[in-house]
Amino acid sequence: MSPGIGSWITLSAALFSIGLAGVMLRRNPLVILLSLEIMLNAGNLLLVAMARYLGNNEGHVLALVVMAVAAAEVVVGLGLIVALARRGSSLDVDDLKGLAG
Amino acid sequence: MSWLSTALWVLPAAAAVLVGLAPAKLWGRSAFAIAAMLANLVLALIAIGQFDSSKGLQFAESRHWVSDLGLTYHVGIDGLSLVMVALTAFCVPLATAFGLWAKRENLRGYLALMLALEAAVVLLFVARDLIVFYVGFEAMLVPLIFLIGGWGGTRRVRATIRFVVYTLVGSLLLLISVITLGLSNGTFDLDGISANTSPWLFLAMIAAFAIKSPLFPFHGWVPEAYREAPPEVAGLLSGVISKAGTYGMIRFALPIFQEPSSDWRWLFVTLALAGLLWCSLMAFRQPDSRGVIAYSSIAQMSLITLGLFVGSGEAYTGSVFQMVNHGLLSMLLFLLAGFVEVRFGETAFARIGSLARGRAALATIVMATGMAALAVPGSSLFASEFLVLLGAFRYWWLVGAIASLAIVLAAMYMLRWISAVLHDRTATPVREGKDVRWEALYLVPLLAVVGFLSVDPHAVTARVDCDSHAGLVAPASTGSEICR
Amino acid sequence: MSATTLAWIVLAAPMAGLFYNLIVGSSVSRKHATWAACASVLVSFAAAVGVLIALLQRSPDDRQLVSTGWTWLSGGQLHEGFSILVDPLSAVMLLVVSGVGFLIHAYSVGYMHGDREEKRFFAYLNLFVFSMLLLVLAGNFLILLIGWGLVGLSSYLLIGYWWERPAAVQAAKKAFVMNAIGDVGIALALFLLWGHTHSLDVLGTFSAVDSLPGSTTTWIAGLLLVGAIAKSAQLPLHTWLPDAMEGPTPVSALIHAATMVTAGVYLVARCWPIFRAAPEVSDLTALIGVATLTMAGLIALVQTDIKRVIAYSTMSQIGYMFCAVGIGATSAGMFHLVTHAFFKALLFLGAGVVIHALADEQDIRKMGGLGRYLPYTRTLMWIGALALAGVPPFAGFFSKDQILAAGLARADWVGYLVFGFGLAGAFVTALYTFRMIFIVFHGEPTSFARTHAEKHAGHGEGPFSMIWTISVLALGAVTIGFLELPGVSHAMRTFLEPVAPNALEASTSQETLASLLAVSLGVIGIGAAWLLYGRRSDAPRKVAEQTAPLESVLQRKLGFDELYDWAFHRPAVALARGGARAWEGPVVTGSMDLVGATGGWLSRVLGAGQSGLVRVYALVLALGLAALAAWFMAGAS
Repeated sequence: MSPGIGSWITLSAALFSIGLAGVMLRRNPLVILLSLEIMLNAGNLLLVAMARYLGNNEGHVLALVVMAVAAAEVVVGLGLIVALARRGSSLDVDDLKGLAG
Repeated sequence: MSWLSTALWVLPAAAAVLVGLAPAKLWGRSAFAIAAMLANLVLALIAIGQFDSSKGLQFAESRHWVSDLGLTYHVGIDGLSLVMVALTAFCVPLATAFGLWAKRENLRGYLALMLALEAAVVLLFVARDLIVFYVGFEAMLVPLIFLIGGWGGTRRVRATIRFVVYTLVGSLLLLISVITLGLSNGTFDLDGISANTSPWLFLAMIAAFAIKSPLFPFHGWVPEAYREAPPEVAGLLSGVISKAGTYGMIRFALPIFQEPSSDWRWLFVTLALAGLLWCSLMAFRQPDSRGVIAYSSIAQMSLITLGLFVGSGEAYTGSVFQMVNHGLLSMLLFLLAGFVEVRFGETAFARIGSLARGRAALATIVMATGMAALAVPGSSLFASEFLVLLGAFRYWWLVGAIASLAIVLAAMYMLRWISAVLHDRTATPVREGKDVRWEALYLVPLLAVVGFLSVDPHAVTARVDCDSHAGLVAPASTGSEICR
Repeated sequence: MSATTLAWIVLAAPMAGLFYNLIVGSSVSRKHATWAACASVLVSFAAAVGVLIALLQRSPDDRQLVSTGWTWLSGGQLHEGFSILVDPLSAVMLLVVSGVGFLIHAYSVGYMHGDREEKRFFAYLNLFVFSMLLLVLAGNFLILLIGWGLVGLSSYLLIGYWWERPAAVQAAKKAFVMNAIGDVGIALALFLLWGHTHSLDVLGTFSAVDSLPGSTTTWIAGLLLVGAIAKSAQLPLHTWLPDAMEGPTPVSALIHAATMVTAGVYLVARCWPIFRAAPEVSDLTALIGVATLTMAGLIALVQTDIKRVIAYSTMSQIGYMFCAVGIGATSAGMFHLVTHAFFKALLFLGAGVVIHALADEQDIRKMGGLGRYLPYTRTLMWIGALALAGVPPFAGFFSKDQILAAGLARADWVGYLVFGFGLAGAFVTALYTFRMIFIVFHGEPTSFARTHAEKHAGHGEGPFSMIWTISVLALGAVTIGFLELPGVSHAMRTFLEPVAPNALEASTSQETLASLLAVSLGVIGIGAAWLLYGRRSDAPRKVAEQTAPLESVLQRKLGFDELYDWAFHRPAVALARGGARAWEGPVVTGSMDLVGATGGWLSRVLGAGQSGLVRVYALVLALGLAALAAWFMAGAS
């Protein structure tokens, strides 16, 4: 007996909230990136669950697209973090505010 | 021959790309750029030759572009476009020749930008679609920014920013007007746009043109931009690009907004008169050549605007002819000022003078240019001013009479300029510096065309006169009712 | 060849000379260049004679020929051709302009010899001759205005020919601007004319004059008069002419005595249908003539520069012509124009010989007794002076007396004013002319004159080209008057009658009365000049002491220069300066900077929200998301 759709939604919402909290509360860019991944995967989970629930494949397709995009995003994000680290700047996002208006 | 309209702007655009991409040290790059410009001039001459002055729009080409939005690519040439395109194609190579003579650095960028500028200006002059026009109108700003900012004088950045910001404000208003018009008509094609009565759209559109031409009191950007730009770019700016403003009025603002333009005529006639007299007066007190030319240029443009708004066929033809004449003479004046700056290294009247001594060719050219620019009777500028003032006089005799005062003022400031350059003694007379020799290559052609148009102004007016300007501005109700 | 073809040749020849010198001038010898210039004007003169002959062969009523070269300007309903009008009036002017023009060209070959840029001088001179011919040939008012402006331009170029002298440049600019005021007057007249007749064709508009409303005609004539006054240096636009003497002497002779300054008279004569339809303006023309002839004559009495004496005399004589054309004696005015061209050119060129001999000295106080060294010149100057003073049988006698007689014949207050002041003017004319003659040529030589004259001893009185040309002019000054012998021949009047008819005819008794009075007054004037200046007594000093206030007023030329300075120049400069400070900077540039400042301010306000803290952005993002979700849910329920 598999869990009902409500459970999946709850789980996804919880994961999303955890990710969001991570993004807002943590200062280390690496961790923020991880939290972002959690949020993305919360979305993926919901997509897949909904696809199952509705009985078609569109959600699966979208989830795959999101994964691909997330992978690309991680590449860019990690690249930025590595570049920052090599420049010797602090890895605290609160210090990285050169674009303040 | 419908390819001609397109070819006229595609040729310089393609040449700009080629020059821009070519290796930096390529020999013959300047020759290629000049050749492309001359080829474009040949195209313009073909257009003049093939043009049938008894018909309206010719060489027209219309294609769907983005049909969902009602965008068409529609270009064509009528009398007005013809003379403006010819003016552009004639002035750009001469300006570039001056640039080469003055040894501009970073030639690759310079030449590519000049070609791009030509392409954009020609595009806006052949456009028959609001969006195509707008693209040209904005695209020409880009090369201008870099030409002024990159090759200008000491305060070039400040001048560029002022120029661009001020112009963009106008352009935004123009964009609002264009989009509203296009959406309400379902198309941006000039043929499909019906008359509009909204005064707000009219004022928004004309604001852009008033800043560009410039119309008093929106001329604040002019003196600085004309002083800081390289002389040949200043010449193009005042000779050709400022005409985009008055061209826009003739092509779009006045025919589309017949009712508002008639309602607001009093305002624009007043502003034009004020600008004419005020800037003539300002020109009389300027301390250097470029200042005199800049303010005289504003005064001349005011006269053109005046001719457009008084609403008579004579003044309309006069205004268009004046656009040509002023284009040629501005170019000539700026190139002369530039020649003096480069050769003698001084700009202020206080440190330059007595240049006539032993420099017969320079003296002759300066004198001839000055006389043509003060509209001495018999010159082409006189012919166009006569028509404009005649039209103004028919509109209301007082307007014509006040505007005629500008003839005296023009005599005063141009004579002062001639004397300051050629005659007046200064504490430190300029002894070094040779006379005009092969520099005549970029000066004499301009002078020759001015001379030709002085002998036969009909050559231009006949081609322009047949344009349908029936709906331009409703004929003035007040005839010359003097002394009744 | 037909008259019009010849007229086109008249016009084209000096232009060809100009271009020849402009293009090849730098590569040929000075002799070559100067003779090319002279030859072109000679061709012009020959063709002008041809025009005259061709006209005389036609019947008197068929002497108006129009030829249109090409369409010059079109626009709206305006369509004007480059056309010329050949008729007796223009033929007379053609002969004067090209004839005197040629003589002065030839004279200049000697006078300007050795000048550094004499090719430029001859190019300008050719330009002037072309412009003046264009002016008198114009068959269209637009073309007339072009000629009108171009003579102003060449006058400017020639006055400022010696540009290294600041005074010359100033004088040139002044002349140009004053003439530009006149150009504006004519342009406005043309606007008005075109507005009512839709044509600028000379003959076409004349035929329509009668149908114009009277007030319009008055305005047109008045505005044309403004142009005429400016060009002919009449009150109150006269101040440029004395200053124009900064130009080389041949220029003063050709432009500022013989031809250009009389263009105003020609204009009024040419436009007689308009002026006759506007009697108030005609009267005004005559009154301006009266005022100018009196004022200029008085000022000439105290001038010490030989050329300025003659310049004021020119103004005064043109005043006579204005009187004539104003009261309707068109042919008398034109006749005086022709005779004046000869004797005034003679006087100027004679003065040029003197100046040449004295190494460019123009102050008559330094001259004296020059007759001893320049006897031939003295004779010729005497001829010119007698002609100017109106002594028979010299040319000025015939023409001036015609004007005075016409004033009598007019027999109203304007006519009597012309007559009265004309007579007084005859006395003053004789006085100032012979003051100059006696001071310069008679009495004991001053040391200055002696030094210079002895330096030149053995060289004759000047180059041959100078001497023969003024001899020809002197011959004209003696003979030309016989064209109009009272009671015997009226060649000039008959020739002009079909195109410029006189409004009044003087009777023989009126002519006799005018002649008698004028001649006796002239002779008295000469006698007075002899008493005052010829005997070298101290009389002038005594007179000067008694009339010191008047003299100082005259010396300052009645203060017109100062008046214009205060009334126009200074206010304009103050306005420009104050305006630049009060308007151009703060308002025009300020408003533009306001646009930029507004943008900057907006960006600062909005930029404050951009803290740069990623976590704050994320918070705002989340809050926005929550708000959206809440909105959806609210919508769903």
